[in-house]
Amino acid sequence: MTAALLLLRALRAARASPAARGLRTAAPRRAFAKELFLGTLRKEEVFPYPEISNEELAEINQFVGPVEKFFNEEVDSKKIDQDAKIPPETLQGLKDLGLFGMQIPEEYGGLGLSNTMYARLGEIISLDGSIAVTLAAHQAIGLKGILIAGTEEQKAKYLPRLASGEHIAAFCLTEPGSGSDAASIQTRATLSEDGKHFLLNGSKVWISNGGLASIFTVFARTEVVDKDGQVKDKITAFIVERDFGGVTHGKPEDKLGIRGSNTCEVHFENTKVPVENVIGEVGGGFKVAMNILNSGRFSMGSASAGMIKKLIELTSEYACTRKQFNKKLSQFGLIQEKFCLMAVKAYVMESMAYLTAGMMDRPGFPDCSVEAAMVKVFSSEGAWACVSEALQIFGGLGYMKDYPYERYLRDTRILLIFEGTNEILRMYIALTGMQHAGKILTDKIKAIKKGNMGVALGEFLTRLQDTLGRKVDLGLVGDRGVVHPSLQESAKKLEENVYYFGTTVRGLLSRFGKTIVEEQLVLKRVADVVINLYAMTAAISRASRSISIGLRNHDHEVLLTNIFCTEAYFKNNYAMAQLEKYADENLDDSIKKAAKQILEKRAYICSHPLDRTF
Amino acid sequence: MPAVTPVGTVPALTPVGTVTLVPTVTPVPAMTPVGTIDPGARSDPGARSDPGAPGARDDPGDPGAALAAALEELARSPPGRGARLALVEAALAAMPALGAERSLAAYKALLRLLPRGAWVPRGAVQRLLFPFPRQHECGLRLLECMERHGVMPDAEMRFLLLGVFGPRSRPLRKLQRMQFWLPRLRHLDPHPLPPRLPPGLAAARLGLQRMATEPGATVTLVQRPVPDSGDDEGSVQPYILSSQSPEQRELLARHGPDRPVFVEGPFPLWLRGTLLKYFVLRGDPLPPHLRDPPLDPERSFYFPLRLELDLERGPWDDEDFHVDEVEEGPVLALCVAGAGDRRTLGRWLAALQRHNPALGRTPVLFRLTPGGDPAADPPQGPRDPRLGAGTPGAAALEPPEDGGEPPKSSGE
Repeated sequence: MTAALLLLRALRAARASPAARGLRTAAPRRAFAKELFLGTLRKEEVFPYPEISNEELAEINQFVGPVEKFFNEEVDSKKIDQDAKIPPETLQGLKDLGLFGMQIPEEYGGLGLSNTMYARLGEIISLDGSIAVTLAAHQAIGLKGILIAGTEEQKAKYLPRLASGEHIAAFCLTEPGSGSDAASIQTRATLSEDGKHFLLNGSKVWISNGGLASIFTVFARTEVVDKDGQVKDKITAFIVERDFGGVTHGKPEDKLGIRGSNTCEVHFENTKVPVENVIGEVGGGFKVAMNILNSGRFSMGSASAGMIKKLIELTSEYACTRKQFNKKLSQFGLIQEKFCLMAVKAYVMESMAYLTAGMMDRPGFPDCSVEAAMVKVFSSEGAWACVSEALQIFGGLGYMKDYPYERYLRDTRILLIFEGTNEILRMYIALTGMQHAGKILTDKIKAIKKGNMGVALGEFLTRLQDTLGRKVDLGLVGDRGVVHPSLQESAKKLEENVYYFGTTVRGLLSRFGKTIVEEQLVLKRVADVVINLYAMTAAISRASRSISIGLRNHDHEVLLTNIFCTEAYFKNNYAMAQLEKYADENLDDSIKKAAKQILEKRAYICSHPLDRTF
Repeated sequence: MPAVTPVGTVPALTPVGTVTLVPTVTPVPAMTPVGTIDPGARSDPGARSDPGAPGARDDPGDPGAALAAALEELARSPPGRGARLALVEAALAAMPALGAERSLAAYKALLRLLPRGAWVPRGAVQRLLFPFPRQHECGLRLLECMERHGVMPDAEMRFLLLGVFGPRSRPLRKLQRMQFWLPRLRHLDPHPLPPRLPPGLAAARLGLQRMATEPGATVTLVQRPVPDSGDDEGSVQPYILSSQSPEQRELLARHGPDRPVFVEGPFPLWLRGTLLKYFVLRGDPLPPHLRDPPLDPERSFYFPLRLELDLERGPWDDEDFHVDEVEEGPVLALCVAGAGDRRTLGRWLAALQRHNPALGRTPVLFRLTPGGDPAADPPQGPRDPRLGAGTPGAAALEPPEDGGEPPKSSGE
């Protein structure tokens, strides 16, 4: 197998490098998701659904086979979970398959996969949570800094050995006092007197691969002289080798899930880091960190979908054989509902993930961070819900350690937390969109606030038309439409939602202005709506393509899409109706008040139901 | 056992009680022996948790039980009507002094002294014409006394009242109202105090804890009172009790030595009838440009903390304005002291400096209200109502509106 892979690699190396996969000359594009906040749907971005060429498809399929075989035959997830360790031979197998350098260009010895192909492999890798996290910590964040911001020398020096898996990478950002707050980073790098080294001191916690890694991407404070001559503390990213000395790690943390992945504290004590190991520029670490974090998220969509597809296979087998009251489980409506839910979620998150990956693979420098964040939020929550339902189908059996469902459940829980918690990502999604919409709408809103009669009247008339029932047409269906007629209903719903979402955002901006940053309950609803909109778009686009080119079972895809879109449509309408209301009407005030009373006492303050006063 | 003593005192009590036929006579001599029944009853005032609680009714340690036992003994002898009435009234007046004012059993025992059936109006017409006014008033007074001390009447009480005053009589009406309202009002106070307020330092501690509600706030005794208990507590050296939370400590550390901090006070704090005086260490409100340091744009790795927009909040959605949210400087520490002179407050500040080194470099200005020096007018708990002091007037139970003098029992 290894020989075959080596041959394959050699063959591919002879072909064009991945940089030539697309032309990279176009101007930055306006991203799709941000435009949704203006109530416009840039259909040329998402229709038709992105495809890969036949050669690429054949290429990726060649990878999929061996990797799938490896995961089915040689990975013992139960043992990994029990021993809280991935056995060395499994790690070696992963290295032989080249999975440690999936996105590293071929000239540095990686597989040089595009985002789409990376997502495809992610589907299989996710069958074991611990391995998926180990690999993701290595290449989605650990070495990403070198890949996107490193110099040629750094790449040439580190990437080959990282690609082969000889070195494992880790990403060291989190500190005891800091989750997402850069201000509380305490690790400090001071320049030595000769100006050739930085001395690194500090501790990092919860570092995935911390005990295995020999290359660390470390973020530390450095003193930087400003433009105006002031000395300021700024964050800088460093490549730190374990061999630099002074690097120690604590014992692996005992975790709820993904127990096989190695998570521990890493301490740096007077570690000498040469100045050429700074990633980007000194003081530019914040941007590096942001870029790394933003770029790694999209793959969670396909990974979750891969896991749910596997779960559907396992559970449907059971549901069709187990009998209760002389009926098979599969004949009960409540069980059928669970399978439908799993299929819909898997379908939609898969659609979102590959749509986003396709957008990222396009020429130009598409900024898909909002889309990627939406994929992450949707798929992590979907995965959690689906795994829970799958376990529920098994009932008591699912709760037992003999079956893998409890492990899946434990492993899935981390998805809602790492790579930015879903709460934080919702803020990111909503605020980034609000910022984009705000820049364009500011003048208009100001004019209305100042009392410009013309603009105000125009606004009033649009509102009037909206309330009277406007026929929204954003060009998805109809003569020049891009959606297949069987999806007409869903597309109409999407159009209507998008249009009214634009109106809602405009209303919110004029109500709250820049203070909307403080309105987290409002922003959460905004994020939920826009995630649903993107999910609807992805599903419609994919189903439309499937039906148009005649993929197998496309009618099933249409069915799933229509189910999802109808549900999402109602959810969106409800959320937007709440957003129209003021805080005292949509429960926000009450929610905050209740929370305040509880937090004041730091306890549940209701009297016991058995208490009496007389 | 205190329960033995009252039985012994009963014979002495009974003849005197029957002699004092006139109800207005000061009942001091009559009740004095009863007053000595249970000298230990008042020593641990906070021991009884909640007198009205259903479970606490027949508490064996109840000081009212002694009284109840004595009264039960009385009830066995043949009743002489007027004497019983006078006896009940006298007992009611003495109940707080006996420490029995929260004992349901004592009230029941009092009711059992009254004759059954004699004062029940016969027929509707008599009921209309305020029958047996003195007797019914006495019943009402008993219920009022219970109400004042938050004692909840129970079914047996109702049965006794029915027997004495009859259905639909004024005491019964009063009972119904009490049964309706007392349970509803029982937990009205969000900061409940113990049934009997401890004197002096302990009261100060309660008051300070009530004001400084942050969970991390620590109350420290800076200076012990000398003498440390009794009526003249703190007359040689006043107590100083200080409270500061970690958050306040942080605020003080950030305050900076260029702007002064102020010691303000004394402010009155009423705990039931006890007046405490407290002092506040506060800073001035910061000027707006210093209040919120500009956010570092490179602060949050995941989402923007600020939008670059030129849009303010619309006036129709500005719910941030509240009349009670007046701009005030931060409160940096609180203290309750037995005296408000500079020397005492200076000692408080010196103690604060131990945990707040920044305070040593910061100028401190005293803004003390003249005439409010608690040294001249030491805070005092309500004096133990002596026997014969009579029922304190309702007004004396509440702090006066103007927050001036502490209330004094009418008999003093």
